[in-house]
Amino acid sequence: MAGRGPMSFTGPGNYREEAAKTIRDKPEVRTSITAATRTFDAHRVHAWGQIDADRWRDWARDVKSHVLGHLDEYLEQAEEQLTANGAHVHWAETAEDALAILGDIVREHGVESAVKAKSMLSEELGVNAHLESLGVHVRETDLGEYIIQLLGQPPSHIVGPAIHLSVDDCRRLFHERLGTPLDAEPDELAGAARDALRAEFLAADLGISGGNFLAADTGTVALIENEGNIRLSTSLPRIHVACVGIEKLVPKLEDVSGFLQLTARAATGQPIGNFVSLIQGPRKNDEVDGPEEVHVVLVDNGRTKLLADDAAWEALRCVRCGACLNICPVYRQTGGHAYGWTYSGPIGAIIAPAMLGLEEAMPLPYASSLCGACTDVCPVRIPIPELLVHWREKAVEQGLTPMTETMGLKAYAKLAQKPDLFAAAGSVLRHVPLELGGRALPVLAGWMQERSAPKSSKKSFLQMWKEGIE
Amino acid sequence: MAMRVSLFATCLCDQFYAEACADAVLLLRHLGVDVDVPRGQTCCGQPAYNAGRPTEARDMAAHTMHVFEDAEYVVLPSGSCAGMIRCFYGEISGVDTERAESLARRTYELSQFLRQVLNVETLGPGLEGRRVAYHHGCHALRELGVKDEPLALLAGCGAEVVEWEADEECCGFGGLFSAKLPEVSAAMADRKLDTLPDVDFVTSSDGGCLLQLSGRAKKRRTGPPFVHLASALWRGVAR
Amino acid sequence: MSARDRILGRVREALSERTAVEHPGSFEGWRPAAPALPVDGLAHLLEAAGGEIVRQPNVDAAAAWLASFCADFGSSAVGETVPEPLRPPLPAGAPDTAPLGVSLARGAVAETGSLIMDARDGRRAQLLVPTHVVFVRTRDVYVTLREALIELADDLPSAIGFHSGPSKSADIGQILVKGVHGPGRLVAVLIGDGD
Repeated sequence: MAGRGPMSFTGPGNYREEAAKTIRDKPEVRTSITAATRTFDAHRVHAWGQIDADRWRDWARDVKSHVLGHLDEYLEQAEEQLTANGAHVHWAETAEDALAILGDIVREHGVESAVKAKSMLSEELGVNAHLESLGVHVRETDLGEYIIQLLGQPPSHIVGPAIHLSVDDCRRLFHERLGTPLDAEPDELAGAARDALRAEFLAADLGISGGNFLAADTGTVALIENEGNIRLSTSLPRIHVACVGIEKLVPKLEDVSGFLQLTARAATGQPIGNFVSLIQGPRKNDEVDGPEEVHVVLVDNGRTKLLADDAAWEALRCVRCGACLNICPVYRQTGGHAYGWTYSGPIGAIIAPAMLGLEEAMPLPYASSLCGACTDVCPVRIPIPELLVHWREKAVEQGLTPMTETMGLKAYAKLAQKPDLFAAAGSVLRHVPLELGGRALPVLAGWMQERSAPKSSKKSFLQMWKEGIE
Repeated sequence: MAMRVSLFATCLCDQFYAEACADAVLLLRHLGVDVDVPRGQTCCGQPAYNAGRPTEARDMAAHTMHVFEDAEYVVLPSGSCAGMIRCFYGEISGVDTERAESLARRTYELSQFLRQVLNVETLGPGLEGRRVAYHHGCHALRELGVKDEPLALLAGCGAEVVEWEADEECCGFGGLFSAKLPEVSAAMADRKLDTLPDVDFVTSSDGGCLLQLSGRAKKRRTGPPFVHLASALWRGVAR
Repeated sequence: MSARDRILGRVREALSERTAVEHPGSFEGWRPAAPALPVDGLAHLLEAAGGEIVRQPNVDAAAAWLASFCADFGSSAVGETVPEPLRPPLPAGAPDTAPLGVSLARGAVAETGSLIMDARDGRRAQLLVPTHVVFVRTRDVYVTLREALIELADDLPSAIGFHSGPSKSADIGQILVKGVHGPGRLVAVLIGDGD
């Protein structure tokens, strides 16, 4: 699989084990993630309370659905405009293709060092490991990404990559790597990072970013951030490469106004990201600085597969705000690492089956109690629980579910159409001690591992009714 | 002529909360309603639907629609099953959509029925002085939009429904989810239990949620009693 | 067939049986209640985000303010579009070493509290300095981001930056710190057209 490197992921297949391990062995992760996500969500609630969030979300959903329905036209328009702006446009079908394009740029320009703006797509593609294999020094400049790069870990959340770490974790890390005192305040830690990274910004040959939105009418890559490292990464080095998923298109620059605000409010509760970059192309003749070359790599890597799915295409509306992660009661027990892939939480579970293939993505569509909290907060109204059930249906069709589950549910459904047998089976359930039954039926074993056996009523209600209720 | 209500006990409550179903019957009769319990009722089909098996779900739904064909009102002591019927029966692939929609229109979760149809305000003084925590089951809350109804009914019995930070968060039951991913499911229950204030009992309109929370609490040897909403409200009548 | 053709081909195939949704039209009308004057809205949001606001009735007053503000600084990096009267009386410094940067914003947006920084003013002086003073004329303040983008679209440089406060991050244990990469101190000087 593309992009496997020291910092990349182990795959969703180990979700249950990884989740169990995290919960059991690293309870502080659950605590940190719960606190961070609750804070993010509280900010979103406040920020949405200031606007007519329902109307904004309807609008955003419709713009994105419209774009996706005419994606080929908008991609062509964006390419035309970007080219007219002096940018180079590349098309990458797979992660390997994208990495090859980057490799060509690196070789052609003798790139020795690169600074990176936070980009989930670049994680998905495995950019860092690949560039390092080509001898390029790659430095993550977003503070959270910098921290996890030093630790050799992948990001844990779409917006806050290091939310699984505590202040003390950071203190220890910075003490070791940057020589700050063990009791340094966050200010001092950030100051040490800033000083270390400034040198890198100034020396880098190449800046790599993602793209939050791509406006087709003006050929504009829009980027959102709070620190300023994206502005720096896309302004100082002589070459800037933006990797942009093909689903990031919006029709007009004007439309970007609505998305910038809605996404910021959904992600962190801000009216807008602290810094927004609107990038058209390389520096113009009347400008004193800016990159000499700008490359935009339009990436497919499974997105057309998702687009082809008659239900799951709606997941391509995602603006990567993280709101679904912040509200998800499943995600907050473990953070993102347990999901074993770049994208975790509810959004990860509904795009993985198309982008990784359903078998590779299992059991993510089942890593949900279908509580529905996510779809209540999605700014572009992706029907997440519906799509989880959709992928479960596909898993059944493709024979990816355990035999015991298939047999069990088929038998159960048959029983449910024969009320007398159903009642008799219920009676058996009531009379066999569940502690024993637990060992026999895997379903019950799962229950019994973490909970006491439920106590059945002495008589079933239907029995009581037959006997008369006074 | 008195209003007629058909009770759908649901597979889970029939086995594990039978007394609560009986309490629901007594409560409805107390409010002047005729209650019948149509024969042949089994399961609404939600476990199959959520497991991605629309064929099995369709068969169970067809059976259920047949059983409740002549019902004027169908009332369930379960938010998730009522949600399944109201919100998803019409979506099941291959289902008779007209019959599904007809049943959906007549279907209510218990507290929803008491408030929205019977307009119940106060039941009695039976819960006076009791501190109660209410767990909002996800399906009742997000699919049926039932949130104020149970709270108003409990307050109407004199209960003090106390603030609970995690009251609207999923308990981790999710049907098969609790057995397929038990560690995460238990951690979700722990989140609920660890944030629970000091109360006389916890109540909810969903048997699955109550099994999950009480099962975890018992394993951890912690927690107050967990009481089904139907039983809590019948207690509230207290003559 | 190129990668481009194959990707576009797959897109077209995916869409071949699907009915498309119409563009819903312009986004407007659902913004937060605006204060009476756009300038007040801008000031309120910038201050809430940790920026400092200075209001001056005209260019001369702004120049006088700048002269006294500069007393604490040894040098400055100045944007290319900053007019003569607003250039600080300080030795020129390089953007990566000067303690102070002075820029002219192309405009500002009231509903988001943002200053519009044009690449033609020079990006380095806008980003590398620890203290960033930005002049903006009150007549260049847009009410909505949408209006601003519509006008900007007619004359786009290589890059536009919207700066809505000093650089910040909460990546270390969710605790807010300032000045992580971009300027840690942002002073927006709102210049009126008066006397």
